[in-house]
Amino acid sequence: MKRRITNVVRMEWAGIAATPSSLLFLVVIPLILVGQALFLSWVVPRFVNPEILGPAGGNADTLRLLILRQFPFFVLLIPAMVANVFATLGIVEEKVSRTLEPLLATPVRTWELLTGKILSGAVPGLVVAWLSAGLFIAAGYALGWGALLRICLTPTFYLSLFLLMPAVSLLSFVIGVIGSSRARDAKEAQNLAMVVVLPIFAIIGLQVTGLVEFTPLRTLFLSLSLAAVDILLLRVAVRLFGRESIVTRWA
Amino acid sequence: MEPRPLLAAHDLSKRFRDRVAVDGLNFTVEQGEIVGLLGPNGAGKTTTLRMLAGIIGPTSGTATVDGVDPAREPEKVHESIGFLTETPGFYERLSAERNLAYFAGFYEGIDAKIAARRELARMDLADRASDRVGTFSKGMKQRLALARVLLHAPRILFLDEPTAGLDPEAARDLRDLIVALRADGCTVLLSTHNLAEAEALSDRIAVFRTRLVAIDTPRTLRERQFQRRLRVRLVAESEACRAALQREEFVRDVRWLEDGTLSVLLADPDRDRPRLVTRIVEAGGQILEVREDERPLEEVYLNLVGGEEA
Repeated sequence: MKRRITNVVRMEWAGIAATPSSLLFLVVIPLILVGQALFLSWVVPRFVNPEILGPAGGNADTLRLLILRQFPFFVLLIPAMVANVFATLGIVEEKVSRTLEPLLATPVRTWELLTGKILSGAVPGLVVAWLSAGLFIAAGYALGWGALLRICLTPTFYLSLFLLMPAVSLLSFVIGVIGSSRARDAKEAQNLAMVVVLPIFAIIGLQVTGLVEFTPLRTLFLSLSLAAVDILLLRVAVRLFGRESIVTRWA
Repeated sequence: MEPRPLLAAHDLSKRFRDRVAVDGLNFTVEQGEIVGLLGPNGAGKTTTLRMLAGIIGPTSGTATVDGVDPAREPEKVHESIGFLTETPGFYERLSAERNLAYFAGFYEGIDAKIAARRELARMDLADRASDRVGTFSKGMKQRLALARVLLHAPRILFLDEPTAGLDPEAARDLRDLIVALRADGCTVLLSTHNLAEAEALSDRIAVFRTRLVAIDTPRTLRERQFQRRLRVRLVAESEACRAALQREEFVRDVRWLEDGTLSVLLADPDRDRPRLVTRIVEAGGQILEVREDERPLEEVYLNLVGGEEA
């Protein structure tokens, strides 16, 4: 069982390694997001009109802190996008190249194949997101924002990183699988599955506008709710990924 | 105790919503047999192979493959079968060896790399092992697909259109390989539209049209469809000969064909053949050749399929 799952993961990664554009995607998207967050944290407080900061003693650091606190939610876009692209690459390409039926004639079980694909798709997204968070914190300290970052590294931050982020990564991958089962090619699947980033923008919007403050309890609730949605959608994906569906409908 | 067949289907049926793909299939295949599956497109050949391979489940009925029910234990069946699918896909950006090693990695007890290299060598593709499959010709891909099927040395092979789209030389090589595999004890179920190939390779032929129309040796199928006639070629056409034969009680029918040969229907072709030769010689005929009037398999097939359609 373990051998077969590892076999799928290694093959998926070999496929990714053979596709320079997907490697580029894996590196460029996180760098853009981290760079953008750092740039905004640096530039906005520096050039903002002092009147916006208000007469009551608001200063640039307050504004910078506000921006830095959005990062844990902003970085959710990384696993969402990476896992999604890997899901569509890993499944639609099998569909297009007609490798699924020969695969189903081997002793690999459907759940082993799907688990291998989830591990190879959702895990890199997650790891890259964690690395990005590490890079962001390191760069923040290097830029002299250590005191501000210490305020940001709250339980909400860690819950977001280690609970909400895996849930988002899995959600993105599973929606990618579902999108792939309906799509004719990788592009169409990605277009269908990219809807997963919309709720993340909603979360960022709610946090930025102050409509909802993500306390640890709320973040925990959101993470568990997403995990429940993941389980439901995973069941749908497993059904769609069933042998008969693949052979009779996916071909 | 009677030996158990290696493959068996009992009232095997498959429906896709309102469409019946396979209807009440019953047949058995013995170890070491090659059985050719013939039938028009949509006759249920591929669906039958998929059900026997445990890739899709039947709507009703059962099957056994080497004593295992493919609907209940598909993975166990996959350990002993090799399934060459109609459109054998590959990861085109990866090398031939990487592709094979991946598939080999799903079988217990085999070294994936060694198995991949062994089969690449057998298919004469060793020198292209590290090339991307995307650069391969159709014939090379088909050989690679067969290599993939043989990675775990299966006892049973399901081959769906194995020579489709191959040039004559590649098709011949592949047929030779199938014969060699049978000699090694492999049992083969071969779905094809190529009647000559089916006849050349198969011990028995199964004709499908959603249900099983007939299954037997090519010779028996012929005999069932058409009477066994003999063709007699003489040095010169002789009406005296024809008239002499017509008077014999063991001759049921005799007529001239357009090519100048006599077509004769005997009461018992094996028993009466020497008497036929004697009568012709007595009537002054000079015989060049006496042979069975073998109808092409195409006629037998069309007759079977056409009869079923009617």
